[in-house]
Amino acid sequence: MFSGKQTKATFKSYLPPLQTDSKKSPQLPIKKLEAKLLPGEIVVNEANFVKKCISTESCQDGLWGKLVCTNFKVSFIPHNSLPLQRFQCTHRLLGEHDISLACVEQVVTVNDVKGKQKILGSNQKLKFNPTELVLYCKDFRIIRFRFDEAGPESAKKVCLAIAHYSHPADPQLLFGFEYVGKRYHGSTDETVNGVDPGGGLQTPLFDCSSDWDREIKRTGASEWRVCTINQGYFISPSLPEFFVVPVSLADQDLKQYACCFYSQRIPLWCWNHSSGSALVRMSNISDPLQQRKVEQRISSAIIKSHPLRSDVFKSDLDKNLPNIQDIQTALLKLRQICVIEPFEESEEKWLSSLDSSRWMEYVRTFLKHAVDVVYMLESRHVSVILLEKEDRDLSCVISCLVQLMCDPHCRSLHGFQGLIQKEWVMAGHRFLDRCNHLKKSDKEESPVFLLFLDCVWQLWNQYPAAFEFTEVYLTVLGDSMWVPVFSTFLFNCPRQRAEHSRDFASSKSIHLGQDQALRFPSVWDWSQQFSLKDQTLFNNPLYVGKIATCVQNGTVKTFTHRRSKKNYSSTVRGLPSAMRNGSLGPNDTLTRRNSLMLRLRSDLSQVREQQETPSERFIRDWFSRPVDLQALLLPQLLPSHLSVWKLYFLRWVPEAQIPQGGPITAFHKLSLLTDEIETLQSQLRQYNGAGCTPNNPHTEHSKMYFKVTSTPHQSPAPPEYLSSSFPFSPMGNLCRPGILGTPLSKFLNGAKIWLSTETLANETI
Amino acid sequence: MEESGSVDSVESLCSSTTTRSDRSSGTKVSDTELRSKGRTFEKVYKDPGKGELPLLAEELVQDAAKEVTYICPFIGPARGSLTVTNYRLFFRCTDREPVFGLDLPLGVLSRVEKIGAATSRGDASYVLVCKDMRNLRFVHKEPEDSLKKSVFEVLMKFAFPVSNNLSLFAFEYKQVFPENGWRVYDPLAEYKRQGLPNESWRISKVNDHYELCDSYPAVLVVPVTIPDEELRRVSSFRAKGRIPVLSWIHPESQAAVVRSSQPMVGQNGRRSKEDEKLLQAIMDANAQSHKLFIFDSRPSVNAAANKMKGGGYESEDAYQNAELVFLDIHNIHVMRESLRKLKDVVYPNIEESHWLSNLESTHWLEHIKLILAGALRIADKVESGKTSVVVHCSDGWDRTAQLTSLALIMLDSHYRTIRGFQILVEKEWLSFGHRFQQRVGHGDRNHTDADRSPIFLQFIDCVWQMTRQFPAAFEFNENFLITILDHLYSCLFGTFLCNSEQQRLKEEVPKRTVSVWSFVNSQLEEFVNPLYVHYPSHVLFPTVGIRHLQLWVSYYIRWNPRMRPQEPVHQRYKELLAKRAELQKRVEELQREAANRTASSSSERAGSPTRSITPVQTFV
Repeated sequence: MFSGKQTKATFKSYLPPLQTDSKKSPQLPIKKLEAKLLPGEIVVNEANFVKKCISTESCQDGLWGKLVCTNFKVSFIPHNSLPLQRFQCTHRLLGEHDISLACVEQVVTVNDVKGKQKILGSNQKLKFNPTELVLYCKDFRIIRFRFDEAGPESAKKVCLAIAHYSHPADPQLLFGFEYVGKRYHGSTDETVNGVDPGGGLQTPLFDCSSDWDREIKRTGASEWRVCTINQGYFISPSLPEFFVVPVSLADQDLKQYACCFYSQRIPLWCWNHSSGSALVRMSNISDPLQQRKVEQRISSAIIKSHPLRSDVFKSDLDKNLPNIQDIQTALLKLRQICVIEPFEESEEKWLSSLDSSRWMEYVRTFLKHAVDVVYMLESRHVSVILLEKEDRDLSCVISCLVQLMCDPHCRSLHGFQGLIQKEWVMAGHRFLDRCNHLKKSDKEESPVFLLFLDCVWQLWNQYPAAFEFTEVYLTVLGDSMWVPVFSTFLFNCPRQRAEHSRDFASSKSIHLGQDQALRFPSVWDWSQQFSLKDQTLFNNPLYVGKIATCVQNGTVKTFTHRRSKKNYSSTVRGLPSAMRNGSLGPNDTLTRRNSLMLRLRSDLSQVREQQETPSERFIRDWFSRPVDLQALLLPQLLPSHLSVWKLYFLRWVPEAQIPQGGPITAFHKLSLLTDEIETLQSQLRQYNGAGCTPNNPHTEHSKMYFKVTSTPHQSPAPPEYLSSSFPFSPMGNLCRPGILGTPLSKFLNGAKIWLSTETLANETI
Repeated sequence: MEESGSVDSVESLCSSTTTRSDRSSGTKVSDTELRSKGRTFEKVYKDPGKGELPLLAEELVQDAAKEVTYICPFIGPARGSLTVTNYRLFFRCTDREPVFGLDLPLGVLSRVEKIGAATSRGDASYVLVCKDMRNLRFVHKEPEDSLKKSVFEVLMKFAFPVSNNLSLFAFEYKQVFPENGWRVYDPLAEYKRQGLPNESWRISKVNDHYELCDSYPAVLVVPVTIPDEELRRVSSFRAKGRIPVLSWIHPESQAAVVRSSQPMVGQNGRRSKEDEKLLQAIMDANAQSHKLFIFDSRPSVNAAANKMKGGGYESEDAYQNAELVFLDIHNIHVMRESLRKLKDVVYPNIEESHWLSNLESTHWLEHIKLILAGALRIADKVESGKTSVVVHCSDGWDRTAQLTSLALIMLDSHYRTIRGFQILVEKEWLSFGHRFQQRVGHGDRNHTDADRSPIFLQFIDCVWQMTRQFPAAFEFNENFLITILDHLYSCLFGTFLCNSEQQRLKEEVPKRTVSVWSFVNSQLEEFVNPLYVHYPSHVLFPTVGIRHLQLWVSYYIRWNPRMRPQEPVHQRYKELLAKRAELQKRVEELQREAANRTASSSSERAGSPTRSITPVQTFV
């Protein structure tokens, strides 16, 4: 009855719904509603006649259907599916209305008649029949189900099941194990199941010594070698089996030093600067008696590995950066103001609330610290040791940011993925604990990785053409943490992965064969989650990377970015640009706050004392030169130049959407142009290759999501479905609870309400 | 004696027409050179620091001084020479590498102040407070001869010509541009574009000699049913005689945007039959709706307070089919104060902590939000509600101009083009009498004048906010907006001089000065947004939430040396365009070649199957 018809605005109704509506809907002809199950997935519990709330502030509108809890996800199967919006990318593991259990942060049951509410954990009892279930998700969604027409018992059961299964007692209860066991080890003949996870991946995983060898070669770190003493994880439980150390340190020495370090973590080589300076990460030395000696030995080995025998600079991260609890607190506050507080109420104090969440401040602190390290490597030509107590959180962020700024290779897609593999997965970032997949200890939970992604986004936002990937890619990567299938985000360290998969295999009598471990797919195998077409959303049409020199037998044109010399001066005539803003460099030690008069009284001699620090001078020098996107990149660090990562944090907020607008409209136009260029290039190749007319210019797979269709040279308007949330949709993904009984007037303050209903009806949300 | 010393130096330099080779020898044509395209520098002046300063033809050096110290808030003191002409201030630093300088039109100066008495060493300190978000401080030795004027005293004279009975530089400037910007806006042509006059609206000549209203344009569009005689009576009921007249009409629904000033209701609730009839006629002209929305941009308290002064707002009794809405936008004084606070927060340095809270405390973005939200409501009523609207504030020349012009940009894609935007500014701001002279205070030393207010800046900021939300919907780029703002203050062009169309005609501004559009339209490539997509009937509904508003850093923070002005996306897009053109050319060449070959080969070996092509796998 509703089939195929485009449903119009879903939040038309600020008025109470018609009685008939809610009575009629459950009498729909019962269709067989089945959850789509993955290998190894089983249905645990389900309830019929459940309503999923769709609109934001009220729960009047909704979809009727069945709520299913499996060992992987909470699935909602609607009777009448909303017509699939054209832009929605379809996730291969999760349907439009599915939430993976790992993504569920909090399960809240409500009985609004009795006015009761309870947050459910594992193995709990519920003394009332829920009328409503609210799922707060780690990716900032808030999803609401109503049980007005569902059987009270089945509603209760499904809520308890969701609560229970979202709190797995043991890592092996995480769905990935069942899935991988069934999918990749289910049949004896391994080739039958076909897909070899991670097979054909271009991203180095750094789980073998050859990947490290290549990295050593790529960075020219000739005085460094791959060390294999941790094979079988006999030396350190949290280090990978292969890592890189100075050539001058013998295995015997390393074994001896290992016991002095926290968790026997021998210092790890991360990367070499072209000047020969190395970036090394190191945990605290636990034995105070040995500290000086060991430190000296390590330092001198690093110095020996430097072609100029340059010194080593130690950067203490614990002292200079917020700790993991600070970061977690900041994210919770940010979530509060982004999605939980009613939009209009948080609107007035948005900036100061954002300030007091301290998230932006932390992002800036990390970027700034990374710039300081870059200065040491780049300008002082010394090696840098990143020092952190456990060397498993803050140093992951800093070492990655340093490499992203210095090494253009890390800004390509595979380079970036390899970087995460190297500095997070192999270095033993505790993803299992930091994601709190087991919901055991809130103290260990911390969005360090998300903070890192935000820092990357800031760089991306300032130099979009320097990165091969898009912000959609970064967002989707963040979301993939909550799909508990990928080896990348499931474990605290490589050893834990090996142990758990061995245990699991033996308990399920799976024959592991040569692999020695369950073949968990890597998140970098993006076809696990998305179709090839959807994956093109990751490709940045602006990327200058290797395209720069691709024109065949024509003039090789390098697209070095010249710094735009725009000087918005009011003079009409030309003047050298340096003469414009009347200022040379940063020296902001002069305090601003004082009134004009106060500042003016400070006499000359005082001003003279304000010396620029060498690192400030280095930054200023860099900014005064044109940017080469294929070389060093430094972020602008003025607080006014960092922005909120809106696509990630505000994508579910309907009020914050810009219909038919947002950066995506520029992306659209750029994609078309890049696609056109690709088409032309492939035509050229065909001409050059065969010397006759090409039959179909589009035979090759295009890298762009948006393609030129029929009429090139005439840019079509961006499609109407684009919005600032693209490719995500707020519809049904953000239903704030607790608005029941709120007077209508409260809604009328909302910015959206200023639009008349006619406009809302035209909006495609 | 400003003539002394300076005049002869100019004369000696007038002859030496110089090369600008030191700059143009660069690899690329710089923006600055593009900027200067189409004009010739007739003279170059050598400043005391031996630097060359190309002058405009009508520019005369008034004074110069060596050994001036510029106290740069970013890098500390810098010594150099200072030159003052009748148009600009030029400072060239000589003790820094690379050499840098300051070059600003005197028009941006809001106040020049000598701070404290001269010290024992004879140093005096001067502060130049600018209208474009910066303050400059100089230290200079006072002339020993007390009769001789300091260079800064000369500066003060030429910075505030109006206060010194001199004429603004715009009246001297005689540059000829390929296009005459004074012809950009022709009201009749613009109304014709909108389909006016039509059966419901007529063009009235009642204000031909500015007798009905001296701050309105000569050409007015009013309902057909209201004769001029009645308009005259309405004018006595509206503040400053600014009667409700049409600004824009929807091409399909015929819903109109009408602007006016407040009705003179007063404390006794005065009524005007003619005014009521006019508003009824405005409503009747739109068959789609039986309602009229009156948007009073003020907070209701302010509107009520205006009754004490004889003003007020439309009562529901008198205007039965009209619905009155207050938009809560504050007055010019609140806006001025907000910008002052903003300047405190952004100049010279930004405090590293609590930036966002400090920004919030200025309320600048909140005001931007309210203005955009008001315009959005107006646009929505017209577009979606198909209802005509009347917009007014108190006098109808500040907030009203902001609201109607922003609503028009949302409603009509023509105003999002470069020329359309110029027409919009000419029409809604200049012809309808936004008091630019008062609000900006051109050449006037009275910096405490309560009539000054950054109303036009706010409008441009709002436009910029929209360009951020819809990066492909505007033909112009950020540079265009900044250039307009720079010349709002520069007094190089006549466009933003005077308070009304009548005054500009009286002063013969179009005859005696150059329009800023002459300059802009002579180098359009500088101002084009390469991402622009023209979609004709597309209405923009921006999201006005504070989450989507951002401080316009490349305007407000541009003096900070850590600020890198950049438009990387635009830059890259241009590169891609060039690349496409190159590839297209080569493909076409090859196509032609291939066509020739096929033609010849098919004649030789007809019927031989064309081999399918295996593309060379050189992945890009």
